[in-house]
Amino acid sequence: MDFWSEIFMALRRNKLRTILTGFAISWGIFMLIILLSVGNGLKNGVNTNFADRAKNTYTIWSSETELPYKGHKANRWITLTDKDIEYLENQLYHVDEVSPVFSKGGTLIFEDKSKSVQVEGVKPIYKDIEGIKIKEGRFVNENDMKTKAKVVVIDKITAELISEKINPDKEREKTVNVRKTRKSKKKEVSILGQLVMINDINYTIIGVFEGQMWGNMGQCYAPFSTMQQIYNVNNRYYQLSFTTKGLETKEDNENFRKELKRNLALLHEFSPDDQRGVWINSSMLNALETNKIFNTINVFIWVIGIAMLISGVVGVTNIMRITVKERTFEIGIRKALGAKPRSILMSIVMEALLITTIFGYLGMFVGMGLMEIVNKILEAVNAGKGASEVAVFLNLSVDIKIVLMATIVLIISGVIAGIAPAWKAVNVKPIEAMNNRS
Amino acid sequence: MIKLEGINKTYFGAQPLHVLKGIDLNVEEGELVSVMGASGSGKSTLLNILGILDNYDEGNYYLAGKLVKNLTENQAAEFRNRFIGFIFQSFNLIPFKTAVENVALPLFYQGVPRKKRNQMALEYLERFGLKDWAGHYPNELSGGQKQRVSIARALVTSPKIILADEPTGALDSKTSVEVMKILREVNASGITMIIVTHERGIANLTNKIVHLKDGVIENIKENNLESIDLERDVK
Repeated sequence: MDFWSEIFMALRRNKLRTILTGFAISWGIFMLIILLSVGNGLKNGVNTNFADRAKNTYTIWSSETELPYKGHKANRWITLTDKDIEYLENQLYHVDEVSPVFSKGGTLIFEDKSKSVQVEGVKPIYKDIEGIKIKEGRFVNENDMKTKAKVVVIDKITAELISEKINPDKEREKTVNVRKTRKSKKKEVSILGQLVMINDINYTIIGVFEGQMWGNMGQCYAPFSTMQQIYNVNNRYYQLSFTTKGLETKEDNENFRKELKRNLALLHEFSPDDQRGVWINSSMLNALETNKIFNTINVFIWVIGIAMLISGVVGVTNIMRITVKERTFEIGIRKALGAKPRSILMSIVMEALLITTIFGYLGMFVGMGLMEIVNKILEAVNAGKGASEVAVFLNLSVDIKIVLMATIVLIISGVIAGIAPAWKAVNVKPIEAMNNRS
Repeated sequence: MIKLEGINKTYFGAQPLHVLKGIDLNVEEGELVSVMGASGSGKSTLLNILGILDNYDEGNYYLAGKLVKNLTENQAAEFRNRFIGFIFQSFNLIPFKTAVENVALPLFYQGVPRKKRNQMALEYLERFGLKDWAGHYPNELSGGQKQRVSIARALVTSPKIILADEPTGALDSKTSVEVMKILREVNASGITMIIVTHERGIANLTNKIVHLKDGVIENIKENNLESIDLERDVK
């Protein structure tokens, strides 16, 4: 259409003006996308690190009392026993399955390699309670429990340490960084069945689990019965973990935690008002806490994002005002030649619309493109990372609806910003406008 | 063609300025009239009113038999587009449009299709010897060429009257002669023309000289053009 070709020509002939206006728009959208996607990436990254504990599980730790109660002195150690397990399993509807946990720090030794580890004596059900993923072999089973087998499930990183020792080729290949040769294709010797020594006792490796550890400590699981025998912890537990059912809401969980605490206080004769005695930890309530933090971060990001958008709007408004001012001379000529006010107004508004739309889209395109590239890089980096390292950012993403909304806000504000000065310019006397030579 | 009856115009500023104090003027079709006066005499204001670029407070202005009073912006635009061609001292060409695009612009506002209006614009440029410059931008043209482009632009809509505001004011004397020659030719083809100038030499090339002083017409002199030598009389 003639009208549009007239606008396109005006834009082409005034490249600098067009580009400056456009840049303000593109930049606003671009920064908004980057901000929002980084925020989402942070959230996704941290959420994945918690994802393994998605199940609603509870952990009870025994502790010292703080208050004297019913003739008992303060600072008394509460010990959890089989009676507590029985109570949990039989008296509380919401409790699904219980596993006591016995933790012991120690040193794992394999030939000349050693590493400090945390060994946890658990029941087979613990695999489900903690959502442990088995990479190789198996987890502790009922038979191990019965026979008090000296078996151990170790984490991926510790497993690599041992694997490198028994497969020396792998080590060399890793350091020299050569492509896989026929020689190294030779079947790796499995670490399953290898003997490791933890605190001077030999265990057979039965499995390797996937998992993300914080820090350098290794993590091992052994049958609870075995640990009980070795460390003589008969019927004295410091930690009980269990899965739950039917606790859906925050209120459910809070009420359940209160009830549990009250009943344990009754059972162990400590004050129900005691802040200590037992610690009860709920994974769901923890997750809600974490979510709260992320909601705060989200609000923060949105505040910054909206501030960016406002600065974009202000930029566009300013440029539109200057543009119209710059064009007053031209508008005067056009009026003298018989241009109707509406036609001038329309051409300015349409010009604004065209610039904001094109450059808004460009900013969106570049922003999303950069986001995808960063995602690819993150994927590659995360793939190279070991299990002990935590991905801070993962899967940067942004809601396309939000981006489109932001773009539309910028477009509309650009147009509105153009209308006011254009209206003023249109109503100026042609002679005055033409004298206004810039 | 033009009939002014008691035109009054006051600019209301910090100090109200009564610029035109009752102007009566008749311009017949095909006449070539010049308006002379010192600066501040109101000649530019008169031209703006004639060109419907400004409105007046009292009196009546008839253009081609139609009363031009209290027009809406759209009606004024229509009048300017159909009846009036402007020629300005500073040419007032749009800098980012080529010569041919500048000439064709008034036709754009008449809704003439691009091909047609460019063809018409080219014809007018050719008439003023600018065919080879059609694709050039104003800053690539000399002053005389620019004024010829703006004359072509004023004529392209076949207006009833041409209003020229100091058309030679920005030109040297040689180019002034050329431009005046062209304007006289245009007038000879039957178009009414009013030239505002402060140069006696230019005014002497018109049929009628209107002298303005302090917002009133001092006198109107008929001018015998038979004995005029363009080259000698300009400046």
